Amino acid sequence: MEILKIIGVGLIAAVSFVALRDAKPEIAFLTAAAGCVIIALMLIDYLVEIIVTLTGIAGKVGLDGAIISSILKIIGIGYITEFAAVLCEDMGVRSVADKISLGGKIIIMFLSLPIFTALINLITGLLP
Amino acid sequence: MDVSIIFKIAAIGILTAMINQILKKSDKDEIAMLVTLAGLITVLLMIINMVSQLFGSLSNLFQLY
Repeated sequence: MEILKIIGVGLIAAVSFVALRDAKPEIAFLTAAAGCVIIALMLIDYLVEIIVTLTGIAGKVGLDGAIISSILKIIGIGYITEFAAVLCEDMGVRSVADKISLGGKIIIMFLSLPIFTALINLITGLLP
Repeated sequence: MDVSIIFKIAAIGILTAMINQILKKSDKDEIAMLVTLAGLITVLLMIINMVSQLFGSLSNLFQLY
């Protein structure tokens, strides 16, 4: 049933965006941004449930905490960066959107370095 | 956190647009500019509260802090 609320909020935000676009484009864009934020806030408690179960399974499998937490960080950064980049693209400022997603990619790359080195050590350890 | 916020923002937008038209017709353009800024700032404040709440809960969730 929650999906109907999400669709409702999205449609209302879209309609108010189009309605205000000619009179006041900057406030029109803010209504679209408000719609995005409201839908994201609605999805938070589902995300909590997903993450709790996933970390539970990962803990059972025996992955150590550092890798799990960096994977979680990477997912969070990807989520937030995409959120901001699409909002900027919606505003028409493609260059800023691309820079935001570039920043997200680089930070994710930076966070995945330890995992990468652990993998390389593992592989070199296996080789004779 | 409900749909009412979108209606509030849309209402502020329409209000500022109307006031702008009235002020422009009575050729007080500088006041019209001030009204536009005032509307924009109030909407921005509302949005910033929501965004900070969203980013706070997300950073708690993903241990991003």
